[in-house]
Amino acid sequence: MSQVNGKEVPRGMELGLAGCHVCEKVSPAVLVNCPRCGSHLHMRKPDSIARTMALVVAAAVMYVPANLLPILTTRELGISTESTIIAGMVQFWSKGAYPIAIVIFTASILIPLLKIVALLWLCAAAKGLVPHSARILGKVYWITELLGRWSMVDIFVVAILVAMVQLGNYMSITPGPGALAFAGVVMLTMFAAMSFDPKLLWDQLEREEDMTTAQPLSESE
Amino acid sequence: MRTRLSILTWPKPKGGPHHAICHYCDTVHDAEPIPEGSRARCVLCGATLFQNRPASLVRVTAFSLTALLLMIVVHTAPFVNMDAAGLRTELTLPGAARALMDEGTPLVGLGVALFTIITPLVLAGGLVYVCAPLMFGRIAPGAMFVTRWMSRSEPWNMIEVFLLGVLVSLLKLGKVAELHFGFGFWAFAALMICMAAAVAAIDKRELWDRLEVAQGE
Repeated sequence: MSQVNGKEVPRGMELGLAGCHVCEKVSPAVLVNCPRCGSHLHMRKPDSIARTMALVVAAAVMYVPANLLPILTTRELGISTESTIIAGMVQFWSKGAYPIAIVIFTASILIPLLKIVALLWLCAAAKGLVPHSARILGKVYWITELLGRWSMVDIFVVAILVAMVQLGNYMSITPGPGALAFAGVVMLTMFAAMSFDPKLLWDQLEREEDMTTAQPLSESE
Repeated sequence: MRTRLSILTWPKPKGGPHHAICHYCDTVHDAEPIPEGSRARCVLCGATLFQNRPASLVRVTAFSLTALLLMIVVHTAPFVNMDAAGLRTELTLPGAARALMDEGTPLVGLGVALFTIITPLVLAGGLVYVCAPLMFGRIAPGAMFVTRWMSRSEPWNMIEVFLLGVLVSLLKLGKVAELHFGFGFWAFAALMICMAAAVAAIDKRELWDRLEVAQGE
């Protein structure tokens, strides 16, 4: 039970009810499959923290080659230059194109990094390793889910440049191995965000409250 | 309009009482019908439980139908023409994905095709297929299956991200070559707006309630 303005409000877990993630219908979790849309029904996403952690760690590992390996190779009059994501951003910055440099920095470097940190923090909070406000972290989770896709912008830039700059011997652009690693980072963090269950943050909060204000055994539900 | 098309009001499925569980904090609420244009929030954490958007089915159908028509233009007309070194190259939406596949990164090319071509097509086509018959209280064969897959594919629709990618690339190329905007570019900008408007008009809970009621009849 959670308290709102002195009134107790029930949680799905206590009533054995699960809200379907696909069609929103609330049904008893024992049904296993949603009676309305047939999707798998669960009160908490299965193995949420283990799955999220595995995907986040994989994303963090991929983040290294994504930034170190060239994302594209430019061949101009026979001379090849490889450029990484950071080099591309620095190039814009040094030419005075500050807004575009900031867009690339935010979408390609900052957002993936913040997503990885945010998901690690969310997992730690759900495990009770760091003190947290479930309401604020719920918002952090919401933003993490919302922003994830925008990191893909650099992959699209590579695709467009490769498609357009095919000028024979004069100049051509080919994608580099960093592109695969970077697309991997974005997709892994998106899957990680999807497998995290924000309800665990409230579960943990409830466990902490139970420990601080233990109710006598005779107390009814 | 609203009173004439009585079919547009949100029907209640049989049985009950109906509940809504907050996806963020697991609080169980009574799900009473709410007036059009309003939003039900979780009493504990303040997250949105469900909404009743005005004329959502009509808007979803209209915007996704327009998006489907625009896709024809986007796939045939070039976005941008580039003149450099006496050569002319052009950019099309399938061309961007194909370039990555041809130049040694087939997996990334497949991803680009998935995020910019296949998912938007599935989403817009599925929405028309499901929502157009629902406006008249009918359910299309397999509509529940289609709707389930639509809600799964929604986060992978990256039309608007691709548009940002086009703008960044053009700023990069503008210094080395002469660029001419094609009809495809404006069609793509319109497609992005239509897809965003269609997705923003969906009332998940209402849509599923309608599907359930239509199937029961």
